[in-house]
Amino acid sequence: MNTPADDGNNNLRYAEYVLGVLDADARAEVAHEVMASDEAATAVALWQRRLLPLADTIADVAPAPYVWARIRDELQLDAPPPAVVATRKGLWNNLALWHWLGIGASAVAVALLVMMGLPSRAPTPVEANVSYMAATIQQDNGSTGWTATMDPQRGRMVVVPGSPVAFAPGHAPELWLIPAGGKPIAIGMITLDKATTLTLAPALLAKLDTTAILAVSVEPPGGSPTSQPTGAVVAKGAIDHAVTSGTPGKVALRVDGEALRGSA
Amino acid sequence: MSVTSAPEHEELNQLLMQCGRNDQKAFAELYRRTSSKLFGVCLRMVRDRGDAEEVLQETYTAAWRRAASFDSAKASAITWLVTLSRNKAIDRLRQHRVELLDEPSRLEEIVDEQPTPAVEAETSQEHRRLERCLDELEPQQRSSVREAFFTGATYNELATRCKVPLGTMKSWIRRSLMQLRTCLDQSA
Repeated sequence: MNTPADDGNNNLRYAEYVLGVLDADARAEVAHEVMASDEAATAVALWQRRLLPLADTIADVAPAPYVWARIRDELQLDAPPPAVVATRKGLWNNLALWHWLGIGASAVAVALLVMMGLPSRAPTPVEANVSYMAATIQQDNGSTGWTATMDPQRGRMVVVPGSPVAFAPGHAPELWLIPAGGKPIAIGMITLDKATTLTLAPALLAKLDTTAILAVSVEPPGGSPTSQPTGAVVAKGAIDHAVTSGTPGKVALRVDGEALRGSA
Repeated sequence: MSVTSAPEHEELNQLLMQCGRNDQKAFAELYRRTSSKLFGVCLRMVRDRGDAEEVLQETYTAAWRRAASFDSAKASAITWLVTLSRNKAIDRLRQHRVELLDEPSRLEEIVDEQPTPAVEAETSQEHRRLERCLDELEPQQRSSVREAFFTGATYNELATRCKVPLGTMKSWIRRSLMQLRTCLDQSA
């Protein structure tokens, strides 16, 4: 180690703490020192001032509205929800809002993938030849149950809840891919309140196109005991190519009227 | 970034202090103005959207409970909040350490991330100064510092990802930190 003589090991530890490289035990030690000693707190604050500007390059990503709802619940606050405000990042920051309104799934699609951190750079408008796919999975009452975004290149899918209907205890939503004229293929279990990332197996990817639909059925928490849906279908939606530019309002989504069980 | 101007910093400081006096409206406003920034940070570190949402929730509930201890003389509200979110994210990463070690493919996606020109133009003076000092480091050491900051990885994880001995990684990072300090304190 060729650190200058005036750098005590302590100062280095504070720097390492702020950078984030210490293991859990060492972190806990420093955190304790910061609470107990003004000197430690000052040194850590100085390092924060030095290093935190790196976070400036991290792109803003609007969290889904239900996160604020959960925070209010946990703290038992009664403040009104914060208004969603369009910022200069326009498209990107408005996506959560569109999604929440249940429109523009295709445009939301690309952004969700960005939110998931798939592209490692700051979000920039995606080139039109990137073939993400998306589906708004609608419920019988017309509201959006979930929004699904697929990245066939990486074999990944992100499913974000909109306003799914409540499930009875002991039941959970399972997502299916139904190829045109084919039987449902299980994709995986999703949830009512959290985004789920699913891996798409090659066999499933092969069937993933705009003639297929996505559907959600009511199943036991561990999933359907058979390879086919066993409970009622509560939501479904057509798969479309994700629109990577333009206004979200223009995106038309076909809602397939076919019942899942009819084709099972 | 949406929160870099001095007047905005001051407004956020005021909001956080109001939170310390149990002002729920100020808290809602603070969330509205900072949550996209903090969620970006959380997502960048923990990668999984569901996990990032939980870390964001932990961050704001902790912020509300600890707001009374906020001292604007020591740090700005946004620095305080970003620090809190990074700490929560790192705590979460440490709980899942074993799984993360199994993902070497993450490295190529992340190492030596440079800001895009558009983002660069919007960043703060402090950030530009830090970038200048980072540029003076050896490329591998610069990459390691960035990787560490953006992913919250431990020395062990960094060494594995960069395929160098643990001692080498420690030496790179420590030397970089001391060099950065000298550079930043000179130009401050």
